Amino acid sequence: MNTDTADILKKLESIFLDTFTDTGYEFSTETTREDVDEWDSLNHIRLLTAIESEFDFQFDLDEIEDISTVATIADIVSNKLS
Amino acid sequence: MHELSWLPEPQADFNEKCSQLGDGSLSIGSLRALVNSKLSLNQSNRLFREINKLPPGELEKIKSEFSLFKLGLVSNSTVDLFIPSFFTSALRHGIFIEVITADFGQIIQEALDSDSLINQSGIDAVLLALDYRAFPFAANSVAMAAPGQGSADALEYLRTIRDGFHKNSGTVCILQTLVAPPFSLLGNMDAQLDGTLRKEIAEFNAGLILDTKASSDLLLDVGTMANMVGVYEWFDERQWYMSRVPMANKFIALYADHVSRLLAAMRGKSKKCLVLDLDNTLWGGVIGDDGLDGIRIGQGHPIGESFLAIQQYAKELNNLGVILAVCSKNEEEIALQAFKEHPDMLLKDSDFAVFVANWEDKASNIRFIAETLNIGLDSLVFVDDNPAEREIVRTIIPEVTVPELPKDASLIPRTLSAAGFFEMISFTADDAQRSKQYEENAQRRVEFHKAGGVDEYLKSLDMKITFSPFDTLGRKRITQLINKTNQFNLTTKRYTEKEVEAFELSPEHITIQVRLTDRFGDNGMISVMICLQEEDVITIDTWLMSCRVIKRRVEEAICDKLLDEAKDRKARYIRGIFRPTEKNKLVKEHYKALGFTEVESTSEYDVWELDIEQYTSKKPPIEVLGQ
Repeated sequence: MNTDTADILKKLESIFLDTFTDTGYEFSTETTREDVDEWDSLNHIRLLTAIESEFDFQFDLDEIEDISTVATIADIVSNKLS
Repeated sequence: MHELSWLPEPQADFNEKCSQLGDGSLSIGSLRALVNSKLSLNQSNRLFREINKLPPGELEKIKSEFSLFKLGLVSNSTVDLFIPSFFTSALRHGIFIEVITADFGQIIQEALDSDSLINQSGIDAVLLALDYRAFPFAANSVAMAAPGQGSADALEYLRTIRDGFHKNSGTVCILQTLVAPPFSLLGNMDAQLDGTLRKEIAEFNAGLILDTKASSDLLLDVGTMANMVGVYEWFDERQWYMSRVPMANKFIALYADHVSRLLAAMRGKSKKCLVLDLDNTLWGGVIGDDGLDGIRIGQGHPIGESFLAIQQYAKELNNLGVILAVCSKNEEEIALQAFKEHPDMLLKDSDFAVFVANWEDKASNIRFIAETLNIGLDSLVFVDDNPAEREIVRTIIPEVTVPELPKDASLIPRTLSAAGFFEMISFTADDAQRSKQYEENAQRRVEFHKAGGVDEYLKSLDMKITFSPFDTLGRKRITQLINKTNQFNLTTKRYTEKEVEAFELSPEHITIQVRLTDRFGDNGMISVMICLQEEDVITIDTWLMSCRVIKRRVEEAICDKLLDEAKDRKARYIRGIFRPTEKNKLVKEHYKALGFTEVESTSEYDVWELDIEQYTSKKPPIEVLGQ
């Protein structure tokens, strides 16, 4: 894992903490939508909005469809930033 | 603007504060401070949930501090995402809101059915949050359009909904103008072509404004809101396709703030009084130092014109009934002179209902202004270019609204107007007279009562002070201060750079240059002192300080420092001299406040003396660096 990815994950973790108050899951690249009880469609929008504002880019519609794990998000963010 | 630029950043400990709220250990003042910031969607959601989780007793306690409002909400879009932002922005405007939402798309049903959820809820108003996609013309083909039908049908449809709510809830409807999306078919022709979004929306909006004006319903001008931020930014098609959110998520907070302003206006909670600082707020420069001909105001100079625009804005508001007041750290006489004698000053001293120019802390002065006008603290807006003054007032009186300001004065009018402090739901000739009435009742230039809490604040400023003897690097700035400073200047002796250098090299002289930082940044060199030692007596030849840091106990820190120095030099007495000038009344009692005793007083000067052994260190809440 290079430092950029580590940095992205750190920021993502803090956004997850802000979005989901229930901490009954372990945050890692392996985390999926099923692991997080509060990850419903409304919080999905909140999550993506917070990520867009933190990293200053916009997800494409097809990317949004694919997002169901932390790993996918981290991949997309790192592609957008590079 | 979507960032609500007039609001400060959310507090760094936002999450901890939310937890305190959950424990019931957060004060109402802190809650007010919490919502008076640019909350993200997540933060609004967090706060909303914490409050709704509170046990009934705790919840009632909070509700009792706000005005309750029950808002019905129908929409052709998904509104769930809006609710937390509605909630937090309503609190910001003094309203505790409960939102009753209809099921998605159930607009006509909710309005016409007297048993519908909204009609049964005893609402105070219903917001018809409809964007252009709620109306048939958006879906109809332009090629098939009949002249004048699209917008007329849409207005008729809206009337049906309004009539339904009027009849069944006896309530006020809040109606939205429509935003035309960034889209066209035949370019410039669209504005003339029946059935295009551009033409139908323009006609709809014009018709809606007339309709609303003729009724008791209220207008929420979303069309203008979106134009101000730019429709390219406003619309986010992804959001619409994914989740039927009608605008980009980043504008939800702005939209919610606009809705809340309207509700606040319905509850009589719009702001009534604009409290203005003077130096670098109503003119460029510092009147006490730069003098009447040194400040920048008026035509012919870009900076002068930008401050003139601020005065024009204030004047126009005043003509429409907003009360104006002054709260400034200045000599009252000098400040008033600016209004009376400066030819380019648009505002006159008679425009202000209360005029407070003194050296006391601004929070106490603002309380005094509210008392004098006999209006609530929550109806004041305090405008000051100095971030430290803004913060002190926010901290001590969270009820007072204190907007963040751009550094560039030319941007101030748009920032203040974007904040929409003076929202009105109706306007009559009486409203325009209101400020005059206050002015007559208020007794101007009255004495001042001090309130506590300042030391607490000073601690939170995190001030750090640095003392050093004069040196080559500082010489230019020292000379500049010596020749420029008029107000906090005990002897007003002017020296050239050569003379300053001589003090620097002289073993009989103690020279001190003082720098100060606080959590708002570096204030740079803020004070200069030159003393002469003759045997066991040290005489303060020059002591001056920048007005920016007055009332922060900085002079006490400097005095402590001088005493240390004096002890090292085996001195016994310190002698201070006050030489009165036109501009330095501020420091007449300076040495007295530090514990000196007056030993001589003539019309030319006062001499004060301090026995070093009698001195107790002041130890103000300022960290001394480099020791």
